[in-house]
Amino acid sequence: MVNDSANLLHWDIFCAVVDNYGDIGVTWRLAKQLSNEKKIDVCLWVDDLRSFSHILPQLDPLLTTQVHHGITINLWSSPLAIEYQPGSVLIEAFACELPDEVKHALLTLHVQHKADPRLQQPPVWINLEYLSAESWVAGCHGLPSMQANGLKKHFYFPGFSDSTGGLLCERELFQRRDEWQNNPLNRMALFSQLGLSGINPQDTVISVFSYESAALLALCRLWQQSEQVIHALIPKGRSLNSLTCILPKPIDELNSGEQIHLGNLIIHVLPMTDQEGYDKLLWSCDFNIVRGEDSFLRAQWAAKPFIWHIYVQEEDYHLIKLDAFMQVYCNNLPPELANSWQALNLAFNQEQGEQAIKHWQQLNLVNLPLLQHAKQWPVDAINDVDLASRLVQFVKNS
Amino acid sequence: MKTAHELRPGNVIMLDGSPWVVQKTETTRSGRNAAIVKLKLKHVLQDSTTESTFKGEDKMEDIILERLDCTYSYYADPMYVFMDSEYNQYDVEAENLGDAAAYIVDGMEETCQVTFYEGKAISVELPTSVVREVTYTEPSARGDTSGKVMKPATITGGSTLSVADFVKTGDMIEIDTRTNEFKKRV
Repeated sequence: MVNDSANLLHWDIFCAVVDNYGDIGVTWRLAKQLSNEKKIDVCLWVDDLRSFSHILPQLDPLLTTQVHHGITINLWSSPLAIEYQPGSVLIEAFACELPDEVKHALLTLHVQHKADPRLQQPPVWINLEYLSAESWVAGCHGLPSMQANGLKKHFYFPGFSDSTGGLLCERELFQRRDEWQNNPLNRMALFSQLGLSGINPQDTVISVFSYESAALLALCRLWQQSEQVIHALIPKGRSLNSLTCILPKPIDELNSGEQIHLGNLIIHVLPMTDQEGYDKLLWSCDFNIVRGEDSFLRAQWAAKPFIWHIYVQEEDYHLIKLDAFMQVYCNNLPPELANSWQALNLAFNQEQGEQAIKHWQQLNLVNLPLLQHAKQWPVDAINDVDLASRLVQFVKNS
Repeated sequence: MKTAHELRPGNVIMLDGSPWVVQKTETTRSGRNAAIVKLKLKHVLQDSTTESTFKGEDKMEDIILERLDCTYSYYADPMYVFMDSEYNQYDVEAENLGDAAAYIVDGMEETCQVTFYEGKAISVELPTSVVREVTYTEPSARGDTSGKVMKPATITGGSTLSVADFVKTGDMIEIDTRTNEFKKRV
């Protein structure tokens, strides 16, 4: 029952899987970066190992503890099958509710340390929040959250300004991306490796990882009539749900690598890949449609134009978040281009098919300023210091 | 117990064994509809303030202190003076009113609750809604009557808020003091 690998310096990250790949995608990347670059022992607790295994195929969902990429991965069961050993940092990802055993352990340490400061103090407790470009984030980032029992937690907000927690990005990611994109053979090799046949080097390739949207169906109908061949790479899942009326058979009967020819549009059923594979896919496509938080950020790092399909919130609050990001992203774009790109994103998110078609046509994929902007944006956005580095510094200062 | 989302200026909460007056609340939304509440707090016993962030559903120990129904009398810098039904007067530091100060105006008729800690008046809680006169707002730009189009307006006392486009200067409006939002024209 005791986790022998635990030591006083390790960091624990707790992640409750809400949708399949978003929350776990972010926390898994963070865990890997803390381990690889900061040489921190990380223990990642996940409540749904089966979903996790889709982005980490080596993971055995039946094991309660295992090590991959140097990170201890524990099943977060209720009650915990693996005993929690407090380390130096405790991260609750995306405001997940920590297990009672963990909260009890924190309180015990707090009480003991208060009585005798020579005893171990509780770990630095951090709530890692969702990424948002809204202006209020800077005013909340890093603030303490005083608990009634005397424990203190901090809210850590990723974001796009100096006053926020920054953006998740590995140290050599841009270099690896550039090396990949500088050799056109890489993308063709990747498509082949993924079982996607019939793609010629000059063809337009679009990856699609969205929620359901009528605008996606409208765009597919437009692409059908395109003068040149367009390949849409779509995994089985929510994006395809929007396209059932143009698919020749039920989604359940589609297999990875299968092609559906619809005029000049060829839909390829994309197999699941690990995170490194997905990054390469984003680097290799001419345009990416992404969703949520993890793929949204990786699409920005891909230096390619994209549509962000944001997670829907009550009272259309997600549109405020979308607008906040678009304002930041378009800061240095020519107004006309910025307007088209923003209108396309808005139309996609509001399921306005005709508007999506109109603004897609205005945008024009070979638009050089948009491509140049997509390439410059990652450098500007990361602003010298990535999230993991800022987080480590934040912990040191706490 | 109250959730962080339910707190409002004037509430007193217990954190780590100390009482804190809520001076200001700001609610925003994180991903997946979760509310985040930023509080400005003043320690009741010490002259210190702090800002703290909470999940909207975090449970807070709301201290039940002695409270008295009072009406606002006058302002004597830096104190707001309130009076109970027996004409006893209580001074409350302006700073302790936080956002509530925006609605404390001469001649106001609403009954407020003055909160006491160890005999000292420490905060004031407003009724959940107050009626105030709009002292200035631009004329309606679009003739909208739906109430969905909003515009800024200044009310008695000088604070501003968003009101429906059809509201005119001189109108009396009802405001939700918990959210500082316009409710309706009265």
